[in-house]
Formats: sequence, C-alpha cells, structure tokens
Amino acid sequence: MDTTDSGQEAFIGKIRSALGKSSEDLHAETDLCTSQLTDETRVILDRIKNRSQTERQQLLDRFIEMAAPINLNVSVLKDEESVKAAIVELIRNKDPEWDDQKSIVAWQHPLIESLNLSEALSGQNITVHIAKSDNIESEGITIAKERAWLRRHVIESYIGITSADFCMADTASLVMRTRPGQGRSVSLVPSIHIGVIYLNQIIWDLKELYALLSFDPEIGKEGLTNCMTFISGPSKTADVEATMVHGAHGPREMYVYVIKG
Amino acid sequence: MSEIFIGNYKTEARKALGNKVLQGALSDLQHRFGRGTALAYQKLPEGPDLRLKAHGIRQKAIENLDVLLETLAANVRKNGGHVFFAEDSRAALNYCLETARKHNVKLAVKGKSMVSEEIGLNSALLENGIEVAETDLGEYIIQLAGERPFHIIAPAIHKTRQDIGRLFTNKIGISYTDDPPRLTRAARKSLREKFLSADMGFSGCNIACAETGHILTVSNEGNIRMSTTMPRVHVAIMGMERVAARLADHDILLRLLCRGAAAQNMGTYASYIGGPRYANQNDGPDEFHLVILDNGRSRILADEEFREMLYCIRCAACLNVCPVYGKIGGHSYGHPYSGPVGAVVLPLLAGINEAKDLCQGETLCGACQDACPVNIDLPRMLLALRAKLADGDPDWGVTRANPSENAIFKMWSWVIRNRQTYEFFLRAVSFGQKIFPQKDGMIRRLPPPVAGWTRGRDIKPLADKSFMQRWKKGL
Repeated sequence: MDTTDSGQEAFIGKIRSALGKSSEDLHAETDLCTSQLTDETRVILDRIKNRSQTERQQLLDRFIEMAAPINLNVSVLKDEESVKAAIVELIRNKDPEWDDQKSIVAWQHPLIESLNLSEALSGQNITVHIAKSDNIESEGITIAKERAWLRRHVIESYIGITSADFCMADTASLVMRTRPGQGRSVSLVPSIHIGVIYLNQIIWDLKELYALLSFDPEIGKEGLTNCMTFISGPSKTADVEATMVHGAHGPREMYVYVIKG
Repeated sequence: MSEIFIGNYKTEARKALGNKVLQGALSDLQHRFGRGTALAYQKLPEGPDLRLKAHGIRQKAIENLDVLLETLAANVRKNGGHVFFAEDSRAALNYCLETARKHNVKLAVKGKSMVSEEIGLNSALLENGIEVAETDLGEYIIQLAGERPFHIIAPAIHKTRQDIGRLFTNKIGISYTDDPPRLTRAARKSLREKFLSADMGFSGCNIACAETGHILTVSNEGNIRMSTTMPRVHVAIMGMERVAARLADHDILLRLLCRGAAAQNMGTYASYIGGPRYANQNDGPDEFHLVILDNGRSRILADEEFREMLYCIRCAACLNVCPVYGKIGGHSYGHPYSGPVGAVVLPLLAGINEAKDLCQGETLCGACQDACPVNIDLPRMLLALRAKLADGDPDWGVTRANPSENAIFKMWSWVIRNRQTYEFFLRAVSFGQKIFPQKDGMIRRLPPPVAGWTRGRDIKPLADKSFMQRWKKGL
C-alpha cells in the first residue's frame, strides 16, 4: 500500500493545523529524528572500546547481581567445553513440559555450533534441531518448508538454545537481533531458554546499546533488524492475586552461560 | 463504534466502597506499586528529576508530531511494513477487518492494548465471525468473565483466586483449584493452543521510534512476543501520540516506563518490531501492519491547555497512588482508561459533560503528577475541565454542568457585599440551625436543598457569635 490510500496526507494535515504550523515551518527541524553524536556519546563509545579486564569483571558482577532478583540463572564458565558439559547436565536433569520426548532446538550460530551438542548428546535419545536457513532464498518452495520445519521443532522442543548480540548488565537483559538461522521463536516457545555468551559481549546499559546501534559502523549498519528483543529473565505474571508465577507464556526457566575465556 | 461508556460513576463507586475484598486488593496494589515506583525513581542514576527531562522529550515529540509520524511511517515502509492512518475508530476497525478478511483469518490473538479497547476491536472481530483471544493472563480472565479491565496493568486485580478458580472450571473445564501457579499453568496450556493456531496477532505499541521505524512493546508474560511472532500477520495499533524521535529518547522513556508501570528496571520482554520477516528468515510474521489512530487526539493536540495529556505513555503509575482510584477502583470510570489519566482523557475523548463525574471526583492532591514518569500536570488539567463545566465552553461543546450553582454563587456574592444582609443571614442561620440533629458539636443532617452535604459527612455549626461581634467586645 502506498501513502495515497493510507490516509496519511489528511491525517498529517490535521496534525499540522492542530499545531498551528504553516507550510514554512515544515522542514525547520530536519535533524529531529536523527541521533546526534555528542561528546557524551563519544565518551561512551570510547569506554566500550577500551574496557579493561577489571571493568569487564565489574560488568559481570553487576549482571549477576541484577539477574538474581528476576530468577535468571547465570553461570560463569571458563570455556566452550565446560558450557557443553553444563548444558548436557541440565538436559539430563530437566523433564519436558508437554510430552516425554526430549528435543532441543538451537540457533545456527558459530558459538552454539562450537558446542557440538548433537555429538555430546548422541545415544541418549535426545534430538537436537538446528534452526537452519540454508537455501531459503534460492528456492521459493523451501521458505514455506523451512518455516514449517522450525515451527514444528520449536513447538516440540522443551529447551531452546541461543546466543545473543549483547547482554546489558544493568538490567540483566540479553539483546537479540533477528537473522536467518537465529529465529525469534527459539528463545520463546520452548519451556526452558538457554543463552550462551562470551564475557566481552556484556555492556553496561541501554545508553551503551543505543550508542553502539547509532554510531558503531559495524553494528549500526545492521541496525535493529526487523525485530530486536531484550530478554530479562523467564516469563512471569502476577495476575492472580498479585502472586508471582514464572512461565506465563514464554519459558518458565532461563539460564545464561558466560564464557570467560 | 466507540467502546466508551460513562455514566455509572457514582453507582459503581458506591459498590466498590462496600466491597471489602476489593478494598483490600486496592490497598495492596497501591502499597506495592505506588511505593515501589517512587523508590525506583529515587534509585535512578539521574534521580527522580529524570522525569522532568522526559517531560521535555515528550513535549518536543508532540510539538513535532507531524514530522515524527511521517518519519516513522516512511521507515516502517522501508522495512517492508504497511502503515495506515486511521482518523477514527471506524476507520481503524475497517482496516483491521479488511486485513483479516484478506488473509482469511479465523482466529486472532491479542496482546494487551488499551487502544484496542478504545476502538472496541474485540466486539468488531466477533461480529465479523473472527474469534479473538486475549492473551495477557489478566485480560484473559476478564474476557472469560465477560467483564472490563479493572486496572491498566493489572486488569484482574479485583478477582480473588477463588473467583478465578471457579471461572476456569466453568469456562475451560479444568478441575477446581485456587492455586495461582496451577491456574497460570491452565491458562498457559489453553492459550498456547491459541498462539499456535492463530492466523493473526494484534498488539499495541508502548512507544515507537521514528528514527529507526520500529514499535516497542513491553510485557512480562511473553504473550506479546507470542502474538507478534507466531501468527502469519501482525497488526499493531498505536495512538498517534505514542512516538519518540530517536533511540536516545528511548533510553530515558523505556527506563521510566518500566519503573512507572511495575516498579521494574526492565520488563521481562521488550521488543522493537519494524516490519515483517525478511525472505531469508524462517520465523516471524509474513506481514506487518501499523495502524496509527487519531480518534479525537488531534482535537486535544489543538488545545494548548490539554496538549500535555498527549505526553502520556499509559503506564498506570497515577492509578497506583491516586487516593480516589484507591477507593473506588477501575470500574467506576467506565473504561479501561481509569484513575487520574482516565479522569482527564475520557472527558476529552468522550465528551466533557458526559464524563463530568470523572474529573469532578478527583481530589487535586497532586500525587498523580509526582508519580508520573513524564511529570504530566494532571491536577492542572482536571481543574481546567472543571472550569469548563462551571462556565460552559462552546469550543468543546460544554454546557454548564450545574446552572443553579451559578445562581447560588451570584446570590452569595450579593449577600457578602452587603454588610447588613450578611449579618442578618448569619443571625438567621445561627438561630435556625439549632433545630437540626447534632452530635459532638457537629450537625449530622441538613434539610433539602442542602441535604446532600451531610449525606457523607457532618458539618460544623456556625458559632453563636460572629468574629465581628467578639472583636467589638475586645475578644
């Protein structure tokens, strides 16, 4: 639909007259909707770039501190090997919510692939599905197929494993943008969500995130994508007599493994 | 097809005052959220004054709303989304229904959205044979019960766990339980089926970002993510005022929104959604529609006295501190926009005379402004509405709410400007009042036409001697 039949012109015209704007005022503030690189932002970008080990540790401590009250379980581990062991252990200890089959769905992501979970879980009657997106662009028919495939597997899987773009320490939030192979439903539909990140992915807060998205050439180029989500702990509700219950619609439990390296 | 019903304020308020369970729930709610939010503002690195800065951000956004909305629409379209500008609720509903028809939608799921209540989306869908499921647990309970939300953030706060247990037994056929985790699990199971089979998902929008062309939605339950991820089509509806210029503004507004709404640092899920899935992505909706709604807002925008009301981001912090809401609860306001925000917004949207009880019922104590994340001067606007009701205002189509009030004040003004008449009046009253029943030095009941004054309170009788008489005798 183009702008002509969207009612835009009349609508905006009404707003302009309500604001008492004449046609001369129209482009007075063209920069209004463009982020401005201020000195403060420069300081923030510098700070992110030149973080010392001590500062990284402080960020990690803050993340752990803020994760506790929202029941987000954080484990700090030294390498991929230990994360693999921790995840295998978790899968062994947790039972599926909706049926008996233990299925896992995971992002197609270098960090997750390096864990080699399929191999670690082979012979235990546990299926690992990787949310592939191969060939999706080339063949029209595959899109629908791939979609149906992912949909089926996120529904039957009781654990979803993702990485994240960033982790905001101050609110204990994983920040995820959407890419092929890194579907949104993997962190949403399964009963348990596991996130795996490296220590250097932790940033301080929203201010840092928005500075990076606006001014870091690499990160800014990709932008917010069509869906950027912050996840801060497991799903929760307090709608029955204000009693806190986890697992309203999203995952009931959430685990984040931080690889310290 | 507006869903705004007003007119039972006094009856509903009286009902609420007599309901002990409700009074307990309201008191708990205000203790928890009201105090929690104040504390959360204190803990901000910038302190509670960040609210003033947010006020400035909202002011600038509203004063440039035309530019912001054009930029937002252009960017959403660039991302592959559709944008529709709806002048009123009918236009918005028609667009939603048309989109639903185009996709042959049988079942729609909905995240909590005040604006969809405002336009009456649910009943419009049902009338057109489309099943619609509310997915926020509180809203789901309300929908099953066939009621209206009691609170913007906590819609079912007036229901006890036993109420909900009975409701679920009757409506979704589970065996009776009043255990909140088990009730939540029952709703989780029942709604999961809806999420996975729905063809269309509706959401509101907390604050859009013009710079990037995204809407932002926040929820704790994950229902909005479900509604906007699993169905083939996502339709987001936003009031035209809910937009910020840039990401930097979002830093401040999002932090304040979460604190104002639920005293949280951050809601569990916050999603920036800017369009349908890309061709190479294997989940997310095929189509994304953004409906931007006026429905009377441009009229508020045109009046500088009330323009500030459009800064509101509908967090409900004002409900959680309001002494009036804290007693009479949400149903008295007759609409999901309740409390101090409702007392200003509803008269402006639904008619000032029609909704006069709402703005006249508030106390002007100012607690709402202190709790507001964007520091909106609600008491000022409540007073301005009352002034219109007292004097009438042709621009807003307001007639004098109480013509006799005006006559009485004119008479009173004449009495007090004539010393002898005034003295006579005082003597007559101080003699005459002796026949009325008194207790502890207070008059319990006055006769008509002033009987209303003592219906809910006592009044102090006039002193035997006036101050002037005592002054002349050297006190």
